[in-house]
Amino acid sequence: MKTRNKLTMALGVTTVFALALSGCSSSDDSGSGGDAAAVSTDEDITISLAWWGNDDRAAKYEQAVDLFEKAHPNITVQTQFQAWDDYWTARNTEAAGKALPDVMQMDLSYLRQYAATGQLGDLSAQEGVNLDVSGLDESLLESGAIDGKQYAIPTSTNTLALFYNADITDALGMEPPADGYTWDEFDQWFLDVAKAGASEDPAVYGGADYAVTFWFFLQWFMQSGEQPFTEDGQLNFTQDDMKEWLNSTADLRDAKAVYPVEKAKQLEPLTGFTTNEAAAEVSWDNFLAGYVADSGTENIEMLPIPAGDDGQQHLFYKPSMLLAPSSSSEHPDAAAALIDFLINDPEVGTIFGTSKGVPAVAAQRDAMDVEAGSIDEKVVAYEDSVADIVTESAPIPVQGFGAIEAEFKRLGEELQYGNITVDEFVEQWWANAEQNIPQS
Amino acid sequence: MTTLTRDAAPSSAPAKRARRWKPSEVRAGYAFLTPWLLGFFLLTAGPMIASLYLAFTDYNLFTDPQWVGFDNFTQLFQDPRFLQSAKVTAIYVLVGTPVKLVAALAVAMLLNMKHRGQGAYRSIFYAPSLIGASVSIAIVWKAMFIDDGIVDTVGQFFGMQAGGWVGNPDMTMPMMILLAVWQFGAPMVIFLAGLKQVPAELYEAASVDGAGPVRKFLRITLPMLSPVIFFNLLLETIAAFQVFSSAFIISGGSGGPAGSTLFYTLYLYIRGFNDFRMGYASAMAWVLVIVVGVITAIFFKTSKSWVHYSGDAR
Repeated sequence: MKTRNKLTMALGVTTVFALALSGCSSSDDSGSGGDAAAVSTDEDITISLAWWGNDDRAAKYEQAVDLFEKAHPNITVQTQFQAWDDYWTARNTEAAGKALPDVMQMDLSYLRQYAATGQLGDLSAQEGVNLDVSGLDESLLESGAIDGKQYAIPTSTNTLALFYNADITDALGMEPPADGYTWDEFDQWFLDVAKAGASEDPAVYGGADYAVTFWFFLQWFMQSGEQPFTEDGQLNFTQDDMKEWLNSTADLRDAKAVYPVEKAKQLEPLTGFTTNEAAAEVSWDNFLAGYVADSGTENIEMLPIPAGDDGQQHLFYKPSMLLAPSSSSEHPDAAAALIDFLINDPEVGTIFGTSKGVPAVAAQRDAMDVEAGSIDEKVVAYEDSVADIVTESAPIPVQGFGAIEAEFKRLGEELQYGNITVDEFVEQWWANAEQNIPQS
Repeated sequence: MTTLTRDAAPSSAPAKRARRWKPSEVRAGYAFLTPWLLGFFLLTAGPMIASLYLAFTDYNLFTDPQWVGFDNFTQLFQDPRFLQSAKVTAIYVLVGTPVKLVAALAVAMLLNMKHRGQGAYRSIFYAPSLIGASVSIAIVWKAMFIDDGIVDTVGQFFGMQAGGWVGNPDMTMPMMILLAVWQFGAPMVIFLAGLKQVPAELYEAASVDGAGPVRKFLRITLPMLSPVIFFNLLLETIAAFQVFSSAFIISGGSGGPAGSTLFYTLYLYIRGFNDFRMGYASAMAWVLVIVVGVITAIFFKTSKSWVHYSGDAR
């Protein structure tokens, strides 16, 4: 049976080497910008468009693209979309192969990284030719520019809000947090809800531990009147700041007054709030449509977030759902024309409503069918109501923001399971941030 | 690789000189091998060599790789998440593989009995292995083990108050091992084939000598089966080191909750495709190749003392 022994050996060895390992080679960065000419009206052009989101957003994009193709009969737009995580995996792989879509939805978290490595085209030369940016607020437009080059155009804005489920607070006989409530009052409200909701089946909580969300930490830090990142792309907060923030909900965690992480992990991508087991959730205001759809109740109300020590919320408008052209696009003129259409066309505004946030361009805002009592109306009313307390400009995320945000989330999970202390959280996060943020 | 020329070594074929292959036959042979050779060099060997180079670089997909020497490897062993992933994978291999093989052997012995409809049973018991590695089964598995899922409900009936296993870091590993064990079909089929090769007269002779079923199992079945056990152990160990898709789906790609399903290959993927540290990920891949290679070598070394090939003079 020696042959069998050999065969076994051969199989074993082959299997070891069959561990497929992949590697990719990279090529030189190509330049961007250059001259712009009015987009051709007779040449057949095919460009590609990619975004992250769900089926609902895809249907809206398809409608918008149909309108664009009607206005430009010689241009065909190929579309694709993925969920958030997969979207970035796909884009990164394409970036390595210089095969990014001509136009892609871009987020502030990744803008710097993509721009710094020469993946994005400069739209400056397209302004006034194929691209009209006159409807955009100057500071908003600025959020898509780095070192004087316009790499992306924001299509809408989001603001943080506290959502609460009025059905739940009514059932528990609770009042929502009062106007101008502070973080301490918010924590007390969590304790009260958890106490009142303990006898429910399943138990009802105030909400998830909000301290483990990176953007809320940044927002809280900005209530001290400072930006979280320096102009040269470094951290502007200290380890003590982060410890203070994370310790602020330690009492809630100890009292088990936050939605249990064991349950939350099993619900993903839903949350305790959308399964009606938590009364409130802090999030971006364009989430309302999703909350209403998932929780099955229309009675979800919005409030500003807790106020800082000076009694002010220090909110900011976060530019969202930016559109960016690829530097390797063969049709930069057509790409600019598509971006122009998506940010300016009133009908596109009607199609998307507030599902991507409140549109950045007034013509699209005005074109929305804002019916009384509709979700769009609530979101617009909220942004109107907080207009006076939006006092800060949006932070410009550092390069590597996507990675340090993900690390914050991961450590937050460990913290909630009690595997690490706040000090260990901060220590590990800092080590990770030093790796991911390029030194200036 | 071996060549197609068959030179007759005097020691192995003393009686008759083997003929040489004709050149046209050699060409035809290579022609038929071409698809495999192309696949091997383009899809396996090429990328492996590229990754060996990348393992010594800092490479973020966007900019050219920077040579950093052994930095990636020294960083690996100071990275708490790397150590966590090595620990999780080691537990999975050390516990999961033996349990799976014992289950496979037990079922194979049941299916080896003379019984009506054995063919149907064999097909049914093999079925989980056909679908077990699929995405949908991982999703079904997750649904079974969440709060108020079927496992939780049955557990509550018997007084267990563990809640859903998916959200409990202490219970995710048993859950992952159960999923692996449930896919015992492939080793089972090989065990079954091995059991059929054991000569019946050995059992008959043992019965005449008054041996009971336990003694027959220990003294006849296990030694006669040892080459098959060795083969299964090797393949299943290597496969267990590479577990990825089920953990990826059940944890949503995060290795959570709290790092309890952070398998080696999953962390490798996270480093490469979430953090864009391709050099680091390549270094991890090579550490895995070396570890699996060493373990395979140890298996072969020790096999001489416990694997029994009938025909060997011992």
